[in-house]
Amino acid sequence: MITCGLDVGSSSTKGVLLEDGRRILGTAIEPTRGNPAAAARRVLEVLGEEGNVLTGDIDYVCTTGFGRSGLPERDLQVSDITSSGRGAVFLFPGTRHVVDIGAQSSRALAVTETGKVTRFKMNEKCAAGAGRFVERCSKYLQVPIGAMGPKALDAEHPRLISSVCAVLAETEIINNVAEGVPLPDMLMGIFLSLAQRSHALMRYVGIAPEVTLVGGLVHNPGMVRALSQTIGCPVNVSPQGHYAAALGSAMLGRARKLRIEQGVSPSAAVA
Amino acid sequence: MSALVAGMDIGSTTAKCVLLEGKEIVGKSLSPVGVDIVKDAEVALELALRDARRERSEAAFIAGTGYGRYKVYFGQLTVTEISCHARGAHFLFPGTRLVLDIGGQDTKAIRVGSSGEVIDFAMNDKCAAGTGRFLEVCANALGFDIGEIGPLSLQARHPLKVTSTCTVFAESEVTSFVSRGKEPKDILAGLHASIVSRSLSLMQRVGIEPEVTFTGGVSRNEGMVLALRRRLGAPVNVSPLSQFMGALGAALAGQARCEGAAA
Repeated sequence: MITCGLDVGSSSTKGVLLEDGRRILGTAIEPTRGNPAAAARRVLEVLGEEGNVLTGDIDYVCTTGFGRSGLPERDLQVSDITSSGRGAVFLFPGTRHVVDIGAQSSRALAVTETGKVTRFKMNEKCAAGAGRFVERCSKYLQVPIGAMGPKALDAEHPRLISSVCAVLAETEIINNVAEGVPLPDMLMGIFLSLAQRSHALMRYVGIAPEVTLVGGLVHNPGMVRALSQTIGCPVNVSPQGHYAAALGSAMLGRARKLRIEQGVSPSAAVA
Repeated sequence: MSALVAGMDIGSTTAKCVLLEGKEIVGKSLSPVGVDIVKDAEVALELALRDARRERSEAAFIAGTGYGRYKVYFGQLTVTEISCHARGAHFLFPGTRLVLDIGGQDTKAIRVGSSGEVIDFAMNDKCAAGTGRFLEVCANALGFDIGEIGPLSLQARHPLKVTSTCTVFAESEVTSFVSRGKEPKDILAGLHASIVSRSLSLMQRVGIEPEVTFTGGVSRNEGMVLALRRRLGAPVNVSPLSQFMGALGAALAGQARCEGAAA
């Protein structure tokens, strides 16, 4: 059985094709650009090519993320909390705590060995601690977003940011630039500030090893170091961590499809 | 004859200086604050002295307030902004019982007693939402100058509702309103209403009691004044000197200290 999970985020839409709940046939990512349906369809197209699968061969499409209800032809939609928990446990079976940092929101989840979420805390009201803050820093420090993490690793005396607010932090960072603070120190300060925001959410939920980071920042070694330093334990990171929610929704889609095939009523199908 | 006293309010974006002689404001200045706060404070004082056609040596006492007050090393007294705003508002509007001060990066609601003393206050200096910065960021996103947005917001016919609290998210919301063909004036009305809501919750924390005096740079924005009046359903005192309220309060505190010393 081939299921597709689509994570329609505020910034990008991620997709995963999953075979029999075990094998990843392909992944794809496209910018959402305010149009969830168009982005989801583009991702489906790319996935089909990459996985060498015809659209008709996809047995079930399950969406998640902020724009999850934007694709009319979906079979099912699940919350991004449920799906990123599942996805993280698929990638690292020992995961008991998931930190998911998205473009516009971040959350901490406590999960069971099957990836079921038992507790969570979310921040979606404020850009501090979200990927958007990193995007803005990249813009006004004029460092490409992909270069920020590696550069931050050269920090000798990270310059911490005292402002919580992303906008007020901007002023602080500009003052740091004027003061001549070395770039790596500023960048590491930015990631440490993000890590502190995450840590606050994580503590609220209760931190238990193993901790897995998912979301776009998995590609950022500066963030990974800042996070593990701040919480005081190692953090699991996989290049597929950006697709954790999409992966989880592909798994949840499969579970639902199996139950339907077994004749369970659809409304009772997602556990 | 009473002494010439300077009150300086060194804020995050501008420095204000007021020269007070007895009950009369004889000079004032408003100048930008950059990286070199010490120099900017000196400049503010010089400009006010020039405005009053007085010499530096004539200033008997200098008092500083605002977030950069400790950099006014040439001053003899530093006072908190909260007490300065209360004093200043009381001086201009003796009936003031609540001061709403919206500055460039913080907002304060101050309950004031009948002699201008601070009874209680609530403050937001942690988050740009509900401050002048919020308006500035959103005005930029719309391509307007900060001075244009107030009058424009008053022309709104179908005010929009801005749902984001966070300034960063509100900026995106503004952009998406624009891409959906919404009118700038309707967006601006929504942005002003959003700040008024944030201010109201601060004001409620200390208790709303007339008269309300609105101060700080944002009180120069007539769109804000009107939105606040409507929401409160009561008149709001605004002075053309509202941006100088902190500096005026500092000067009054300096004067009190001078008189105390002389007595």
